[in-house]
Amino acid sequence: MSNQTDMMIEAIAPTTSRRLPVSRLVGFALLALLAVAAIGGPDLIGKDPAKQSLLDTLQGPSAEHPLGTDNLGRDMTARLLSGAQLSLSLAFLSVITAGLPGTLLGVVAAWFGGWTDRLLGAFADAVLALPGLLLVLMLAAISPGSWWALYAGISLTLWVDYFRYTRQRARIVLAEPSVEASRLLGLGPWLLIRRHLIPEIGPGLLTIAAFGAATAVTAVAALGFVSVGVRPPTAEWGVMMTELLPYWREAPFLILQPVGCLVLTVLALHLSVGGLRRS
Amino acid sequence: MTYSIEVEALSVFAGTTLLMGPVSFSVAPGGTLVIMGETGAGKSLIAQAILGTLPGALRSEGRITVNGRRVDTLAATQRAAMWGHELATLPQEPWRALDPLMRAFRQVAESHRFVAGTSRAEARRETVDAFAALGLTGAEDRLPGALSGGMAQRVAFAAATAAKAPILMADEPTKGLDAARHAKVVDLLARVPASGGTLLAITHEVAVTRRLGGHVIVLREGQLVEQGPADQVLTAPADPYTRSLLHADPQFWDKAQSHPAGDIVLTAKAVDVVRGGKRLISGFDLELRQGERVALTGPSGIGKTTLLDALAGLLPPVAGSVLRARSLSAHAVQKLYQDPPAAFPTRIPLDRSLRDVARLHGSDWQVVLRTLENLGVHPSLLSRRPDEVSGGELQRISIARALSVRPKVLLADEPTSRLDPITQKETLKMLERVGAQENIAMVLVTHDRHIAEKWADRVIQLA
Repeated sequence: MSNQTDMMIEAIAPTTSRRLPVSRLVGFALLALLAVAAIGGPDLIGKDPAKQSLLDTLQGPSAEHPLGTDNLGRDMTARLLSGAQLSLSLAFLSVITAGLPGTLLGVVAAWFGGWTDRLLGAFADAVLALPGLLLVLMLAAISPGSWWALYAGISLTLWVDYFRYTRQRARIVLAEPSVEASRLLGLGPWLLIRRHLIPEIGPGLLTIAAFGAATAVTAVAALGFVSVGVRPPTAEWGVMMTELLPYWREAPFLILQPVGCLVLTVLALHLSVGGLRRS
Repeated sequence: MTYSIEVEALSVFAGTTLLMGPVSFSVAPGGTLVIMGETGAGKSLIAQAILGTLPGALRSEGRITVNGRRVDTLAATQRAAMWGHELATLPQEPWRALDPLMRAFRQVAESHRFVAGTSRAEARRETVDAFAALGLTGAEDRLPGALSGGMAQRVAFAAATAAKAPILMADEPTKGLDAARHAKVVDLLARVPASGGTLLAITHEVAVTRRLGGHVIVLREGQLVEQGPADQVLTAPADPYTRSLLHADPQFWDKAQSHPAGDIVLTAKAVDVVRGGKRLISGFDLELRQGERVALTGPSGIGKTTLLDALAGLLPPVAGSVLRARSLSAHAVQKLYQDPPAAFPTRIPLDRSLRDVARLHGSDWQVVLRTLENLGVHPSLLSRRPDEVSGGELQRISIARALSVRPKVLLADEPTSRLDPITQKETLKMLERVGAQENIAMVLVTHDRHIAEKWADRVIQLA
C-alpha cells in the first residue's frame, strides 16, 4: 500500500485542512472586542456611567459623548461598557459553574450507569421540567435585583445541557470496542477519559458553552427589560432598553445601542462555534 | 454493439499526481466485470469516476460512456439524475447505508415510490414481491440494527435495485461477511447479469471473482496489471502480481510449523457463554499452552467472539471457569480486533496511543519502534490518526501495541477478515513468527477453514 494512500492523503489534505472558516474568525474577533470591553468596563474611557447631567439629556453623538447621552444625561458609552461588564462576566462565570458540574455528572452517570445514572437523570429531568426563566425568577424573588440570584438561577438552569450531552455521548464512546481495548491494555480511568472521552466530547461542549453563554446574556437582558432582573440605576442592557423605550421616537439611535450590543454578543458567540453555518 | 459501460483511458488524478489508471474496458448487457486488487489499489476510484462521486480534490480523465451516452462531460446534476435509474450501487458495508431509524420494508418501498416513481399501492406490491424473492419475509418490520449482516445486504440490494437500473456496481460486497453469507451475496449479485443487467463488482477476494466470472481487471497501486476473461486470469495469470494474489488464497498456503508447547497458561473448564439472553456455547473446555496456536472456527452467530471475550476475562462465563496461570500478570492476555480502526481512540495520533501503553508497562520506546519496523510499519505513519492509515497497517500497529504489553496470550478475533489476501497472509505469518519468538499462546477466531488448518497447531470446530 501505501504510496497510494500517501498520495491520496496528500491530495485531499488541502481541502480538509483545519483552517477555520471566515465566519468563525469574525466571531472570535467580535468576542475579543467584547472581552476587552467587559474587562475594561467604563474605566476604558474614564467616565462614570451613573453621573447624571439633566441639562444634556438625549443628546446625539459628540466629541464629549461619542454615543450620545440617555434620558438622564448619562454617557451612553460608559453605560454600555458597564452593561457589557455585567452581562459578560455573568455569562462567563455561569459557563464555568454550569459546565463543570454538568460535564462531570454526565461522565459519572455514563461511567457508572445503573442507579447513579437513573438518579442523576431524574434530577436533571426535574430541573428541565421547570421553564428556565421561571427558575431564575423564583430565585430572583428571594433576593430581588441581586446579581447573585440571577447568576445562581442561570447556572442552575444551564448545567442540564452539559449533563445531558455529556451523558449521552459518553455512554456511546465508553461502549466502543476501542475503550475495551484500552482497558485491556491497562489504561486507567484518567487516561481513558483523556484519550477517548475528551477528544470526542470536547468540541460539542464548546458549542454548548457558547450557546449557554448566549442564553445567559439574553436572559439577563430579558429579565432586566421586564424589571425583575438587575434594577436601575445599574447600567444593564435590558434595563437600558426599558429606560430608553419611551424616547424611541425622539432618539431612536439610543435604544438601538443596547439592542445592538445584545445582538452582537449573541451573534459573536454563535459565529465563534460555527453555529450559523449551513451543514 | 452497444455496451452498458465503456471506459477509455480512464485515469484519476489528485492535482497532477496520477492515482489510478489509465484503464480501458467495456461491459455488455448481461456481462460481469470484476475489479480485483489489494486494499488501497484504487479499485473504488473506478466506480466513483463512473458514478461521478469522486471526492472533490480528485479529478478524472478519459471517456466514460454509460448506455451509449457519454457521461464524463455531463454536469454533476445530470449525472446524479442517473443514479438509481441507470446506475445503482451497493455500498461497502450496506448496513451502514441503511437508515437506522426506518423499518426495512419502508426503506425499500420508499425507493420504489420515489426513485422509480410508482404509485403508493404499486410500490407496496413491488416491495412485497422483492421481500419474498430475496427471502426477507418476516423482516419487514425490523430496524436495520435488528437485521443480520446478510439480511441488511439484501435489504440494501432491494432498495438499490428498486428503480430497475440496468447496471449495478457493488463495492466489496462481501466485506466482513462469513463464508455462508458470502455465497448468498454472490448468488444475489449473479442474478443481475443473469437477468440481462450489467454487474460491476469490486473485490479483493479471489473466491468471489471465481464465482462471478465474466471479465476481470487486476489493479495494483493504481496500475492495471492484467485483464481478461475470468477463466484465463484465474487459471493462467500472465502477471506475477496476479499470480501472487491468487496464490495468497489460504487454500494454497503452506502448513505453518508447530512449536513445542510449554506450560499451561490458560484453562477453560465447562464454560457456558450467553449473549443477548441466548446460550451460545456450553461446556467448552480448553487448555492453552505457551507458544501454542489454536484456531476456533464455526459458522457466524455461533458465539466465537463471545467465547473469546470470556477467555479474555471481559465477560464472566455464566457457568464453568476461565483460569489464568498464576505467573500471568494482570494484562498478559491481550486481544486483536476484527476491525482495527475500532480498536484505537479515533482522534488521537497513533504514537500517542502506543506511547501510553509502552509507558504503562515500562516498555522501552525504542523496542516498540523496532517491533514496528520488524512488522514492516514505517515509523512516520505513527504521526497519523487511525483513520489515516490502511487496515493492514493498522492491524500491524495494533499487534505492536499488544506486544509492548509483553503478553503471554493473544486472542485474535478475525484479525484479517477485512484485509486483502496478500496482506492477510503476511499478517498471519507475522503473528506466527512473533508467537514463536516470544512464546505467546494464540487463539485465532476465523470463519475460513483453510486459514484454520494451515495456520494453527490445533483447530477447534464449534457447532
